[in-house]
Amino acid sequence: MESPLLKLIALQDIDMMIQEAKDPEQTGAQEELGFKLNNLDALITSRRHLAEQLDQRTLILYERMRKRYGRAVVPVEGQVCLGCFMGLPTKNVGVSGSRDDRVETCENCGRILYWL
Amino acid sequence: MTATGLAPYCDEQLFIPALAARDRDQVLVEMVDRLVESGRVRAREVILHTVRERERIWPTAIGKGVAIPHGRSLVVPELTIVFARLADGVDFGAEDGDLVRLVFLILAPYHEKANRYLPALGKVVELVARDETRERLLKVNHWSEFAALIGEAS
Repeated sequence: MESPLLKLIALQDIDMMIQEAKDPEQTGAQEELGFKLNNLDALITSRRHLAEQLDQRTLILYERMRKRYGRAVVPVEGQVCLGCFMGLPTKNVGVSGSRDDRVETCENCGRILYWL
Repeated sequence: MTATGLAPYCDEQLFIPALAARDRDQVLVEMVDRLVESGRVRAREVILHTVRERERIWPTAIGKGVAIPHGRSLVVPELTIVFARLADGVDFGAEDGDLVRLVFLILAPYHEKANRYLPALGKVVELVARDETRERLLKVNHWSEFAALIGEAS
């Protein structure tokens, strides 16, 4: 995985997983279904390794947005940022897939954007 | 949610009746590839990374030859289920030691309006808990058989 944007999304997926693993209600629901949490430490180590692959500026942006909103990267659908639900300006008009190599932010809320 | 309620998340393109794979990781790769080929998800590497990490910390073999890898990711637009019947049993590290022959890969966005992810997961667990259903799943070769089975169960 070379794209910094895709690395950020993978990092966020892990952060969401860590959050889930630390939530007794969520882990309880999973355990009732037969899924037992095995090794949270390994996931935290994996998160660290992934974060180390990002340049400092990108990582700082991610952490700042995560602290502010909980989720730093949000999807874009129909030219609308699904973080703040504001329409994106024309300069952000993009085609899915063509922008995966760029880290772009919403001009309104500052969240990082992913075109679904 | 009834079992019939699982039908909207399954699709012929996401039905793999005789997946040949040598190990657990290859099963995950093949199933994610099928999802990407279907056009539902673009970011193959992200999904694979997320599914692998989850499998590592939260093993998904529930015994009796069934595994249900599942997870949430930003790159998944909607709740989706990929089904594979494995040509040969594969070791998923199940506590009962059984090799896995039936795999349901369930993926969802972080938040859905109707929050159907855990109910869908629960419904699949319930479905495969029945001996008769597992036996039928082990024999399905065509999408119509699978769709009927998912539709019939309630």
